[in-house]
Amino acid sequence: MEGNLSLVGYGLATIGPAIAVGLIFAAYINGVARQPESGKLLQPIAILGFALAEALAIFGLVLFFL
Amino acid sequence: MQLNAILPALMPGQEEPSATLPILPYLPELVFGLIAFAIIYWVVQSKVVPNLEKAYAERTEAIQGGIHKAEEAQAQAQAALEQYQAQLTEARAEASRIREDAKAQGAQIIAEMREQAASEAARLTDIAHKQIEAERQQAIVSLRSDVGRMSTDLASRIVGESLHEETRQKGIVERFLAELESGDVVREKVGSKGEDA
Amino acid sequence: MSFNVLASTLGTMAPAEGFPPTPEIFWQPLFSVAGVSITRAMVVAAISVVGIAWWLVATTQRAAVVPSKGQFFTEGVYGFVRNGIAKDMIGSKDFLRFVPLLFSLFIFILVNNLFGIVPFIQMPTMSRIGFPIALVLVVYVVYHGIGIKKHGLAGYFKFLVPGGLPGWIVPFIFVLEFITFFITRPLTLALRLFGNMFAGHMLLVVFIVGGWELFLADSFFLKLAALPAWVLAFAFTLFEGLVQFLQAYVFTLLAASYIGGALADEH
Repeated sequence: MEGNLSLVGYGLATIGPAIAVGLIFAAYINGVARQPESGKLLQPIAILGFALAEALAIFGLVLFFL
Repeated sequence: MQLNAILPALMPGQEEPSATLPILPYLPELVFGLIAFAIIYWVVQSKVVPNLEKAYAERTEAIQGGIHKAEEAQAQAQAALEQYQAQLTEARAEASRIREDAKAQGAQIIAEMREQAASEAARLTDIAHKQIEAERQQAIVSLRSDVGRMSTDLASRIVGESLHEETRQKGIVERFLAELESGDVVREKVGSKGEDA
Repeated sequence: MSFNVLASTLGTMAPAEGFPPTPEIFWQPLFSVAGVSITRAMVVAAISVVGIAWWLVATTQRAAVVPSKGQFFTEGVYGFVRNGIAKDMIGSKDFLRFVPLLFSLFIFILVNNLFGIVPFIQMPTMSRIGFPIALVLVVYVVYHGIGIKKHGLAGYFKFLVPGGLPGWIVPFIFVLEFITFFITRPLTLALRLFGNMFAGHMLLVVFIVGGWELFLADSFFLKLAALPAWVLAFAFTLFEGLVQFLQAYVFTLLAASYIGGALADEH
């Protein structure tokens, strides 16, 4: 099989952001479960946190191409 | 990927930069993207948003207008109710006033009737009294003449001759009766037993 | 059938028929005008512009108090951006100025993303980095522009550092915030959209083309294996739809939050 070592590296690098995104949404779901009326307030915050964590994975993607 | 692959990619006129390096922009695409977005923005800005905001505002106004209208109707209904109630109270007050009036009037009428009756009764009594008085007077007068005549007759029979002319001339009987009425009877010696007169 | 067989089969045919897909598949010049290659993404973007403009004008030209079906739909999207994104992130004081920008961003990105899973078009415009960069340029100029307009040039840089910090830490925070505001934010904003579309499209191509390659293989078992590949391709298409919507939402939300942050009184 052909391949590139950076592919494996990027695959490994996505683990971190993946866990981070999972944690963020776990916390969001927890919060909403405890206080359902806070869902509307928490949703943009959760999405923002998710976007920030995802940014790391995207940096990885860029580095993979470089 | 090496840097020397990136550098020519940035040069203008380069045809296929992003075929091998997808994170470098192909300049015509970037410009095209800007133009495309500018068109969308222009359409949205000048056509869509004003119309939608106007519809929003109209809808809000319609809803608020409806609420306003409903409030107005309610206020009118309230006013009508108040008016009815006022009229009702007024009517009630009038009715009670009329009743009071009637009561007072009735009392007055009763009083008047009573008075009238009383006066009528008084009048009747008066008339009766007067009649009685008159009859008494008449009786007295006739009695007096009768008594005078009878006593004269009696006396005539005793004396044996008519005393009528003399008694009438002298008014003895009249005088006697007057004295009898006045109460100071002077014993006259007409007969032997005049003590118990 | 052992995994080795599958692996060796894949290995032998990989370089030949464009499998596995490489980033080259995104480079699809269709024709050229005056020496400039017009790519498939540009054509898709042009179609989206015409389609969006027609739809929006058609449904809102006679915007009525009682909406028609089309107007209702457009209003739903518009209300989502207006009240769900702009009002929440910018604040009810002056969000209305930015609603056209955010709504344009949202609908342009959403439609172009969804073109990635529309049959026969199947090209997410945003997987060509030029388009995300163009949009991010607009957002970048807007949020720095209004920030500088509100706070003044010096005030804007002072605004980057939150107040009440001990003196020695201010330069470090300033550098961090400067990098965040001027480099990280636009970079991640563009690359997130690009990366998601790029990777998602790549994934779909892998499953569809891979399934086709399996179907063309000689072995009967390999032909059979094409079926789950296509089932997965279908599942990932649905998943892609979700991701495409989410990315449009995230892009708009982040743009609104950057604008709101630049307009805020305090950091």
